[in-house]
Amino acid sequence: MSITRRDMLAGAAGAGLAGILGGAVLWGSGRGTGTAEMTIEDVLHDPDNPVLGNPKGALTIVEYFDYQCPYCKMGHAMLTRVVGDEGDIRLLMKDWPIFGAPSVLASQLVLGAASTGGYEQAHEALMATDAKLTEDQVRQVLGDGGIDTDAALAAYRAERGKWDGLLARNGRQAAELGLQGTPAFIIGERIYPGALDETRLRRAIAEARRAS
Amino acid sequence: MFAFLISALWLLAGFLTAAQAQPLQPEDAFALRVSEAEDGTLVLNWRIAEGYYLYRSSFAADAGGQSLPLSLPEGENHEDPYFGEGQIYRQDVTAKLAHAGQPVTLHWQGCQQDGICYAPQSVRLDGDGTVLADDAVASAPGWSPRATSSREAGAAAGTPSGLVLAQDQGLVQGLAARGGGVLVIAGFLGFGLLLAFTPCVFPMFPIVAGMLAGQGKTLTARRGLALTGAYVLAMAAAFGLLGIAAAWSGANLQMALQSPMAIGVIAVIFVALALSMFGFYELQMPLALQNRLGRVAGRRGSLGGAMLLGFTSALIVGPCVTAPLAGALLYIAQTGDVMLGAAALFALGLGQGLPLLAIGAFGPRILPRSGRWMEGAKRAFGVIFLGFAIWLAGRVLPGPVTLALWAALLVGTAVFLGALDRLEGDASRNRRFGAALGVLLLFAGLMQGLGAALGAQDLLRPLAPLAGRAAPLQTQAQFAEVTTREGLDQALASASGEPALLYLTADWCVTCRAIERGPLADPAVHAALADVAAIKLDVSTFNAEAQGLMQDLAAAGPPTMIFLDAARAEAQGSRLVGKMDSAALLASIGKIAR
Repeated sequence: MSITRRDMLAGAAGAGLAGILGGAVLWGSGRGTGTAEMTIEDVLHDPDNPVLGNPKGALTIVEYFDYQCPYCKMGHAMLTRVVGDEGDIRLLMKDWPIFGAPSVLASQLVLGAASTGGYEQAHEALMATDAKLTEDQVRQVLGDGGIDTDAALAAYRAERGKWDGLLARNGRQAAELGLQGTPAFIIGERIYPGALDETRLRRAIAEARRAS
Repeated sequence: MFAFLISALWLLAGFLTAAQAQPLQPEDAFALRVSEAEDGTLVLNWRIAEGYYLYRSSFAADAGGQSLPLSLPEGENHEDPYFGEGQIYRQDVTAKLAHAGQPVTLHWQGCQQDGICYAPQSVRLDGDGTVLADDAVASAPGWSPRATSSREAGAAAGTPSGLVLAQDQGLVQGLAARGGGVLVIAGFLGFGLLLAFTPCVFPMFPIVAGMLAGQGKTLTARRGLALTGAYVLAMAAAFGLLGIAAAWSGANLQMALQSPMAIGVIAVIFVALALSMFGFYELQMPLALQNRLGRVAGRRGSLGGAMLLGFTSALIVGPCVTAPLAGALLYIAQTGDVMLGAAALFALGLGQGLPLLAIGAFGPRILPRSGRWMEGAKRAFGVIFLGFAIWLAGRVLPGPVTLALWAALLVGTAVFLGALDRLEGDASRNRRFGAALGVLLLFAGLMQGLGAALGAQDLLRPLAPLAGRAAPLQTQAQFAEVTTREGLDQALASASGEPALLYLTADWCVTCRAIERGPLADPAVHAALADVAAIKLDVSTFNAEAQGLMQDLAAAGPPTMIFLDAARAEAQGSRLVGKMDSAALLASIGKIAR
């Protein structure tokens, strides 16, 4: 029997490759159910989350917020202005309703409004309020802001799987990131818990640009 | 080494978020103290940090799905329009709760002034007011996400098993890893250098030496370096591909690489290599191939040949080093970062190849000249390769069979060393040394053979079956074994009130065997586990159930140890993944023990 090194190497290579490919295919298919591994992509580019600012922007700012969270709303006008000034920022407002039923309803209605192109309008109307809200107040504010809340609710229900999935994902991400509450910002790849004033926000943006 | 990597990453993660003033942890911002009044009323006192406040309307208590009346003092009516019409408490608030006689869950929520509004907080109290989560709060300086999942939104931080996982895995680690990619890569380079001195990499030395020898007398140092460099780069590239596969396939690549099939193939390859070392046949690059490489494109052809050789060598070595690599692959799989995975394993391959570069640079000059000495060295390598093959096969073969194989190897080696030869009076000193060593090996081999016949499992205690049951059993921690989520729930339920250790393991998990023989057999660990419900989650059969279980636990694969306190919340920073020692295990147990 003559076994040459070539035979051995070829055999080993074949076996190794087959093992790797077979394993990858086998386990890869088992993975379809989605291991809960989260990547930064999942956080920065959730396809279901509406995007404000410049959707093609180079830098992404994520804010986990609640429609009843006072400091989220207090800083929102400034945040929007800075995002507009900078020009190339994608702003992802991630609904993380932590203040109970009115917050959940608010998120549902605003996301529902997204189906008819009214996301930004609805979002801004609620973010302009300054107090805690009741469910009736949520409807009232949205109605005053030109949103048909019945239609928005129907639209939300029609795509319930998508929106509930998004909300659940946001909550899970917040937990995985160790966020304690709202607001919490992710700018570039850094987490900033709590409200940011304009100075700190601009510094955070500058740092993110330096880092990238 | 790997532990160092992880801790370095953690330092980095800490830095990333600590670079600025942090809001307090919610349990520090709102510290709860519970006492019992004489009439059985529970007195609940929250000490509120300066600059923080609690919402009066957010306080609630419930038991068994029923909400309980909570008597609260009047709060501060705030002028600030942002707070709405509600009331808040600053500094301190005391609430009273009538004796419930059953476990009660308390809820509260508050904010840091001008900072952050916390997700709802909650805690479970025993019927007599003992805070069930106290352990967790005391032992976990980090935030326990117990309270995060806003029930309305259905955002599930808890798992279907009702467990609460510490959130110190996952994305933050990924972020840190990206920030600290250079560190990771440097670490893997060093790790590779260490691996270069394991038997896994030994087969490469004769391959490289053969490649250089094929160049004949024209070999210069530069040429040798170029050839070896090409070889090493190609090998590292193959490892890089392994890294990509690991990152891409999730945790499961190492499962494939450690399957009985893969282990069998590698063991056979090592036996073949060993036989060639013994001179049964010569492993040489076939002449035809050598000629073609030399003729077709001169130097460039040879470089290509070297690269081909390097790439294929990695395929031999790759699966061999996955045992020590299990932790690294798990880590890569967890980050899911393909670039990092590729770069890290490329660095690992490079590290393994560095010693080979020395051969290339100095040429065959530093290799021992052929002769008696070289023959001896080759035989020694052969024995090492055979031993390695048995060690590998031992992962999948029954204990007694492994012992029998060791017996055969030891006895065979002993005979070749001359243990059974008669020494003449004028025998040389070396010969006598060899014979003495041979006799020792012969004795060890006979012991192993005897052990095999007795059905012993442990190489180091072949006669354990004779010594009675007491010794080995005493030092083995007792685990309840489960394979399904229901099993886990039952096991946890039957140990309610006790902290629990979940140990994710599998038959094919090589590192797990090392853990079981090492830290888990340590009497100190055994003692520490006395008050802990130890549950073994066996995912040997990697079906949907096992995958679901792993997903629930956010575990990438075995070995993973998860430490739950009595309230079934994972202690912050306690999780152990991959290889571990007794100290790490004891530290983690300490985080959940009362």
